[in-house]
Amino acid sequence: MAEGNTVSTTGLGVRDVTISYGGDPVVRDVSLDIPDGELSVIIGPNGCGKSTLLKSLARVRKPDRGQVLLNGRDLWSYRGRQAARHVALLPQNPSAPDGITVRDLVRRGRYPHHTLLRQWSPGDDAAIDFALERTDLRELAHVRAAELSGGQRQRAWVAMVLAQQTDLLLLDEPTTFLDIAHQYELLELCRELHGEGRTIVAVLHDLNQAARFASHLVVMREGRLVTQGPPAEVLTAELVGDVFGLACDIVPDPRTASPMVVPHDRR
Amino acid sequence: MTVVKIGRVIAVPVGRNGAVAAAVTAALVVVAAVATLSLGRLGIPVADLPQALFGGAEGKEAFVLGRLRGPRLVVGIGTGAALGLSGALFQTVTRNPLGSPDVIGVSAGAGAGAATAALFLPGLLPVPLGALAGAVLAMALVYVSTGAGFRNPGRLIVAGIGVSAISVAFTQYVVYAVERDRATVLMAYLNGSLSARAWDHAVTIWLVVLLTAPLVALLARRLDMTELGDELAAGLGAEPGATRTAAVSLSVVLSAAAVSVAGPIAFIALTAPQIARRLTGGPGPHLTLSALVGALLLVLADLAAQQLPIPGNLPVGIHTMAVGGLYLGYLLTREWRKGTL
Repeated sequence: MAEGNTVSTTGLGVRDVTISYGGDPVVRDVSLDIPDGELSVIIGPNGCGKSTLLKSLARVRKPDRGQVLLNGRDLWSYRGRQAARHVALLPQNPSAPDGITVRDLVRRGRYPHHTLLRQWSPGDDAAIDFALERTDLRELAHVRAAELSGGQRQRAWVAMVLAQQTDLLLLDEPTTFLDIAHQYELLELCRELHGEGRTIVAVLHDLNQAARFASHLVVMREGRLVTQGPPAEVLTAELVGDVFGLACDIVPDPRTASPMVVPHDRR
Repeated sequence: MTVVKIGRVIAVPVGRNGAVAAAVTAALVVVAAVATLSLGRLGIPVADLPQALFGGAEGKEAFVLGRLRGPRLVVGIGTGAALGLSGALFQTVTRNPLGSPDVIGVSAGAGAGAATAALFLPGLLPVPLGALAGAVLAMALVYVSTGAGFRNPGRLIVAGIGVSAISVAFTQYVVYAVERDRATVLMAYLNGSLSARAWDHAVTIWLVVLLTAPLVALLARRLDMTELGDELAAGLGAEPGATRTAAVSLSVVLSAAAVSVAGPIAFIALTAPQIARRLTGGPGPHLTLSALVGALLLVLADLAAQQLPIPGNLPVGIHTMAVGGLYLGYLLTREWRKGTL
């Protein structure tokens, strides 16, 4: 199971992982390897455990059973900062400290590269500048985070995890509170980062966005892994009917030819 | 933002606003200290102060410096710093200005513990340990009775006020249960007082402050990270759960130490971190600045207690309670408007 996998993986994955909240398993016996260099998107109905799975991959939620592996070693045997130099997570509801500027917020992403006494490292400024540049926030570096628009603030959070300089970026529903234009702006940014060779795993709500931007789609239902693969193969009318309970046609997106869900009328 | 480097081992970024505010506050503490020693009928004139401090004092000056005001001032600075630090730690953990040890009953619990140790178990249990036991017990009660730990500010404050009231009632019971004259001595203490402090009080509070300060300093960066929310902090490797436990423990120790030398002085722990936050305008728990502001507030309040022409020599705790109570009212109104309560 752990060996014999010839697909190039990042070394991050879960083995038979079960995670419960108050006795109810939210993730059940899931095994999954995060493919290297892909923009993987996890989809599934609400409560299917996709966010919880993402948190376990980031060493935020410890599984009740099973293992999260990073390069063959249990993720929980790493020290916190050590793991955070490999995997970065942007959760759904981060909170910006009162009065913090964009640059200082992004600087906090450097924490895993510091030690108890060395709270600064030579690479800090370069990493922060790169992250601000990449998210188009250079002009706003000295603005307070509270004054940003929703789209700008979300870019600032992405900049923070970029400054973390990890091989892997995990994003938990990064588009949720954004206007539609900003949703696409953020997804474009993810695609660009992916194009530059970064491995990204995102949890998304919108099936069409998932199909359009993912290079690898992971489908979950009721805590279990249903299927995974390229969107064109995975996203079928049967699957959407089965997993989401929605009768639909799948047509090629007129712009990108990626599969697009067109729901049937109920009448 | 400048980075302070010491050799290759230590590199700490320091915000400019924070550094300036800390320097100014420290200077004000010195001014208030000089005023404490030199004002009033028994004061040592400022011109004679250097000679008295560094050249050896004699006669009246020796009495004022060595017995009357010296220990009081040194205890005041240490206690104020301990309270400011304790408040900053707890408020950062609860992410709420009202989640402060003096509001949620840690101080009252320490007072009850100290009273029990001093009156019921004299000689058996040292007063500081009694205070610590009372503080820990009160905090445990609050933690359990909210049903959600320290997460929910509304519940925390309601539970804290309840535990505070129980602690005060218990203290009253202790005071009534012992002989009148022993209780009278304790009454001033229970309002929070710096009068008649001795050097051993100064040693106690400064020992605790100096022992906990390095631990607090090591925790500071992780506390910064917990402000980002638990999931992000955990993802960055800052272990928010362990950080909170450590911060609460240190806060309780500091609170208990302050109470054991000066009684449950109200509202310094509540206000100092808030003032520190407004002085810098930036993020972060502002630990050093909160300690300095706490010291300044307490020394100023005690200066007022000593010099204001109010009959009856009110203990300093009454002054801080009067001023701090207004501030508490303001905070409650603000939180209520924001809908957090």
